[in-house]
Amino acid sequence: MMINEQKIIEFQNVTKKFRIIKEQKDSIFDLVRLFFKKNKHDTITVLDNISFNVQQGEMLGILGLNGSGKTTLLKIISKIIPPDSGNVTTKGNIIPFLALGAGFNGELTAYDNIILYGVILGFSKKEIKKRVQKIIKFAELEDFLYVKLKNFSSGMYTRLAFSTAVEVNPDILLIDEMLSVGDIGFRKKSFETFMKFKSNGKTIVYVTHDLEQINQFCDKALWLDKGKIKMYGEPLEITKEYKNQNTPLR
Amino acid sequence: MLTELWEKRSLVVLLAITDVKLRYRNSVLGFFWSFLEPLLMLSVLYFIFSLVFKSAIENYPLYLLLGLILWFMFVRSTSAGLSSLVNRADIILHVYVRRELIVISSCLAAFIMMSFEFIVFAIFLIGLQFIPPITVLILPLIVINLLFFSIGISLLLGVLNVYYRDIQFIWQVAIQAGFFLSPILYTIDMIPEKFHWILMINPLVPMIESAHNVVLYQTLPSLESSLIMISSTISVLIIGLLVFKKKNLRLVERL
Repeated sequence: MMINEQKIIEFQNVTKKFRIIKEQKDSIFDLVRLFFKKNKHDTITVLDNISFNVQQGEMLGILGLNGSGKTTLLKIISKIIPPDSGNVTTKGNIIPFLALGAGFNGELTAYDNIILYGVILGFSKKEIKKRVQKIIKFAELEDFLYVKLKNFSSGMYTRLAFSTAVEVNPDILLIDEMLSVGDIGFRKKSFETFMKFKSNGKTIVYVTHDLEQINQFCDKALWLDKGKIKMYGEPLEITKEYKNQNTPLR
Repeated sequence: MLTELWEKRSLVVLLAITDVKLRYRNSVLGFFWSFLEPLLMLSVLYFIFSLVFKSAIENYPLYLLLGLILWFMFVRSTSAGLSSLVNRADIILHVYVRRELIVISSCLAAFIMMSFEFIVFAIFLIGLQFIPPITVLILPLIVINLLFFSIGISLLLGVLNVYYRDIQFIWQVAIQAGFFLSPILYTIDMIPEKFHWILMINPLVPMIESAHNVVLYQTLPSLESSLIMISSTISVLIIGLLVFKKKNLRLVERL
């Protein structure tokens, strides 16, 4: 093991349960009415005692069926959801590419939205202002800088958000199957951007169903199955096994 | 918490400014609405209470306007703070931002609107040729105290509103009652002694009363009412932060 290799994401026995509340007390009225009734709820264990770590500069691919906890895992890394138990440590700033354009407002112009989104992602106002031209150029939306966002198509919207987010220069990127940004040209461009981050030594956690991409780009793979780690290690072995088990029977 | 607040100040300020901008976005009068709103309210109330009920308060228009400005600040900040987490769910669900900051920015937006209204107040001072006494220098302290009090209330209501969505309706009613239980239309002296306790349980009473005193009557707040103001603000803030911290855990699931 190299000496300068350091754990940049570390999960120790992380468990997350969601409550499915049957008789939900979601108003004060219910709270009074059901005061003597216990809050009934079932819990689903979305992540069950997960431990793994990601080294600096590594690209980790996460695969698993729908509902296996992939997105929740990303949300826990990015601190959006706190775990119920266990420890999560991360180093450096994180950009979650989960849903782009959080905080975008249709009533504001592209310019105002870039500033707002940039600041939400951790820029100071001054830093983001300096980058506006570069961002709008990357998004190929130079003519729309002072147009209200509500007049944008959804492709333009995502391009704008994506271009702003990649400006942040994060230490960790969390990507949730989002290479479907815009048209083919922009898709290629966004993928190249991710690869540039990778060659610059950024750490990437990538959730996808595309086994080819995992084989091709990821250093490690993690297979989640019903909230548990089914396999963790070499991408080739894992994708092979995954394919075997998830091929529909003839 | 405080260091994080300072680091993220540009986020808090920007969210607040965006709120203010959006509030007046589509109105022809735009920004001037912020002046007109208190003026219209003032004219109606002044007409009723000064001309119809013949109120005998000294400098009544100023008395009324000052109380209204502070009251609006409290109402706007707590109403916006209450719904802020629900309204900004898209941010909370997709990016990590300390959630307290979102509530605080809504209160700050109300604070910014209040500053515009103080411009109206200044115009009234000039128009009525009233020169405020030196004690007016205390006013910023009272106003900042009111801001922190509103933040405390908003933290509490904002996070509870995610869990119990009817809090907003209850709060609307509470605010209606609060308006009449605060010395905005009347002075405390006009109320019979035996009902004073009702006013004492409203923590806004000493704040509004002291504002009237320092701006209009050259009277500093008494030690007692200063202590009540500061301690009510601190306790509301502590309760707000504690409840917020506890309820933050499952916030995302309930949004």
